[in-house]
Amino acid sequence: MGAKLRYLIIGLVLLLVGCGEQAGEQTSAAAVIEVWAHAGQAAERQVLERQAARFNASQKAIRVRLTFIPEQSYNAQIQAAAVAGDLPDALEFDGPFLFNYVWQGHLQSLDGLLSEETRQELLPSIVSQGLYLGHFFGVGTFDSGLGLYARRSVLEAAGVRIPADPEDAWSIDEFSGALESLASRDPDGMVLDLKLNYSGEWFTYAFSPLLQSAGGDLIDRVSYQTANGVLNGPHAVAAMRKLQNWFVHGYVDPNVDDAAFINGRVALSWAGHWEYPRYAAAFGDDLALLPLPDLGRGSRTGQGSWVWGITRHSGNQQAAARFLEFLLEPEEVLAMAAANGAVPATRPAIERSPLYGASGALRLFSRQLQGGFSVPRPKTPAYPVITSAFQQAIADIRNEGDIQAALDKAAAAIEQDIHDNKGYPLPD
Amino acid sequence: MKRRLIIPFTYLCLLLCALLFISPIGLLLAGSLKPDDLVLVESGSWRALWPASASLDNYRDVFSRVDFTHYLLNSLFINGMILGLGLLLNSIAGYAFARLSWRGRGLLFNLVLAVMIIPLEAIAVPLFYIVSLLGWRDTYLVQILPFIANAFSIYLFYTYFIGMPRELEEAAHIDGAGVVRTYFTIILPNAKPVFASVAILTFLTQWGAFLWPLLVTSGESVRPLPLAIATFHGLPPLRWGDLFAFGVMMVLPILSLFLLFQRLFVRGVAATGIKG
Amino acid sequence: MPEEGRGPAAFLLSAPALVGLLLFVLLPFLLAVALSLTNLRLGSPLPLEWVGLEQYRRILNDPSFLHALINNLLFVLTVVPVQTVLALAMAMLLNQRLGAIAWFRVLFFMPVVFPLSLVAVVWVLIFAPGPDGPMNALLELISFGAWTPRDFLHDEQLALPAIMLTSIWQGTGFQMVVILAGLQAISAELYEAATIDGAGCWQRFWFVTLPQLRNTLIFVVLVTTILAFRLFDQVQIMTQGGPHDATTTIMFEAVQSAFARQQIGSGAAMTVVMFLVVLLLSLLQRRIASQEREVS
Repeated sequence: MGAKLRYLIIGLVLLLVGCGEQAGEQTSAAAVIEVWAHAGQAAERQVLERQAARFNASQKAIRVRLTFIPEQSYNAQIQAAAVAGDLPDALEFDGPFLFNYVWQGHLQSLDGLLSEETRQELLPSIVSQGLYLGHFFGVGTFDSGLGLYARRSVLEAAGVRIPADPEDAWSIDEFSGALESLASRDPDGMVLDLKLNYSGEWFTYAFSPLLQSAGGDLIDRVSYQTANGVLNGPHAVAAMRKLQNWFVHGYVDPNVDDAAFINGRVALSWAGHWEYPRYAAAFGDDLALLPLPDLGRGSRTGQGSWVWGITRHSGNQQAAARFLEFLLEPEEVLAMAAANGAVPATRPAIERSPLYGASGALRLFSRQLQGGFSVPRPKTPAYPVITSAFQQAIADIRNEGDIQAALDKAAAAIEQDIHDNKGYPLPD
Repeated sequence: MKRRLIIPFTYLCLLLCALLFISPIGLLLAGSLKPDDLVLVESGSWRALWPASASLDNYRDVFSRVDFTHYLLNSLFINGMILGLGLLLNSIAGYAFARLSWRGRGLLFNLVLAVMIIPLEAIAVPLFYIVSLLGWRDTYLVQILPFIANAFSIYLFYTYFIGMPRELEEAAHIDGAGVVRTYFTIILPNAKPVFASVAILTFLTQWGAFLWPLLVTSGESVRPLPLAIATFHGLPPLRWGDLFAFGVMMVLPILSLFLLFQRLFVRGVAATGIKG
Repeated sequence: MPEEGRGPAAFLLSAPALVGLLLFVLLPFLLAVALSLTNLRLGSPLPLEWVGLEQYRRILNDPSFLHALINNLLFVLTVVPVQTVLALAMAMLLNQRLGAIAWFRVLFFMPVVFPLSLVAVVWVLIFAPGPDGPMNALLELISFGAWTPRDFLHDEQLALPAIMLTSIWQGTGFQMVVILAGLQAISAELYEAATIDGAGCWQRFWFVTLPQLRNTLIFVVLVTTILAFRLFDQVQIMTQGGPHDATTTIMFEAVQSAFARQQIGSGAAMTVVMFLVVLLLSLLQRRIASQEREVS
């Protein structure tokens, strides 16, 4: 018994030592670049995997090694890796986190790395999302679209007007009226899907446009130093009261199964471009795409999505940039857009896109991005705190809490953070 | 006559309790065999517990969506190492505290008791800084080493050993056996129950570990099962059937371990718990 | 009495485990105490500053953190007694020589082997809103239709009880096994003596069972209390601390602060406060236990 145990122990110790060392791998002539991406929908992942394979096959000098990171607590994982000095050569991150990462000194400016031709072809919204302090730090291969999906037949039966362009979006009163008349024809009265089953960034992305359409915002966009009077001012409170009313009236389906719309339980779904493939498959020609309601200053919508950046610690920045250039080639941009339904990030790709071209089903999304209806999320290193505070406020508002108190609390948390960071002084 | 009434009543209570305790598990099992869109719809009726058209489609989906076997092997390896090394080191420490006298013993034992109430979450961040400095990120090592020494395990071993009859060791002594040999030849073979209970308790706390691996690993190569389940829960569209199938498969190893050793386990808990 | 004269060897035996505890628990904990006195923010390029007790002043003025403290206390004060009584009752049911009893023991223990993250996901479905949710359907059935469906996890009154129920479901089995073991260690002679003295069912329970189980119960209560203060997984998955902080806990607030807001300093301060509360409680509990021991 004793002897057997001793062997077992020795074996265990050897295994333990062995597993610490397996990280090292044999190096070949090619430069290996580590690339991190978010583990999004299956289709997106598969396309990216195939793109990396195609890139690796297309040349011999650079080998891309792809790692998928779960989307849950993505930022925490990036921060953790950064502390450990473990960031990859290139990584994907949610657009509005760019400013924080630049401030922390993790990102390399792409100015000298991406070719001028590539940059000329990018959509204005993509350029504006990646530009910070006069330098270009992140590039998306697609942009996002946010709107209201509806079933045409249900709206027509309820006698509701169907706007097609953000210029003639529903006014907020028209929207309330539509909800009411739809609810009166619905067995459980729940007619609106707000994707309550999502978590995290969705709530800022989807509902901050309401603030902006009413004349409020997440933070003062001139100084980026204060949220007081903007996030908790009368315009913002009024906008959030509208949102809360939808809950109070029982219009909102909790959507626990993420099937409220495709199972026909609701007439309207407040959702992003990524739902188009699923919704179109369920309803075909009956599917309509509408702009978000106008709370006074015109219909506003979200923009921005995942973007690629190159880290400062990377020893292979040129090689990493070549991979990004590859991802921005029209065929590759279209391949990704076909998989996730997103707005292609380059003009040549949009022109060739069946969905976003002049008569495409999702032209509303490209129109919103190019017509100035979409609002980028605040360009400040304080963004992680802003979004966390606003998400908390939305949760309180959703649960029928006091709106002014919820927004005051969020504004105070943002103030405190900006104060703690001495106003986020710019890096040299 | 009174006795005759008590027995059926006892069984009734037992059955009722069993039903309450088992039905969520039934829900999980039945849900894992149903088409995704029926899981929620049927959950409000007796059909929640009965898959009318059972199929293994969800299980197949799990395998096609993630590399389940790979994650499972990672989890088994990590937990196996923690278990093996943990049982050895903690039991020896428990033995030293319970049966040997040495200077500083009282002080150190109090330290162990104090450390027992510090949860991992409380020290996750500083611990994370430490392992980062050591360059251990993204390895198996970083998921194993910090969890081998465990104050609660030491405490359980301590309470068990202190209750063992002394005569056994004395006999070994007379034969001239040293401390180590006494431990391996006399103590170990007589302490199977406490080993079983510590093993199961260790496995229970470690098998579901989520926060720590999330912070210290990035690649799929060394990540354990609970991080893979996040892929199912966090990603729309939420497919309840797949999620449940994953859950069933995730719990199977630990469930079978328990069923295998449950008699020993109960005896081990018995010997430790009553000492208080 | 322990054996003598084996000092260095004995110390060496305990050394590996002690070094592990020192390196991976105590050292990080001391580091957490130190960090709680700084303004450390994850990834910030600004210089680190000592801020003294500022973080403590802030969290003790933060309504969310105070809610968290209260919720933790409510949770402990409800779950610990309910779970203990339930476990005791089940253990007494099982402590009889009846057929198939071993099967029931296995069934009652089964929830314990389920990882908390999985348990939480299953109970999210059980608490699903609307008449189709299993809990709603069950309550409607046993109230003969008087129950109107509620959205448990988004209801200020029901969210914390829902999490409590989930935790009780998962945790009772463990306590039951411990108590059952305690029951089986009580010698039959004590009961026989009591019966001869004319004691009835209740009297035997009060004067034999409970006093004999005292140490077991103290152990069980202590362990459950510590676990209850660490409440995190269920909150993270089921409610995210909401609605209106109704289910937030110290651990949840600390993790939010450290990882979502990258404010390590205040997260560390929260965990130190939690450690102090638990330390206080366990000292108190040990005090009570030893007093009772002296009395009896």
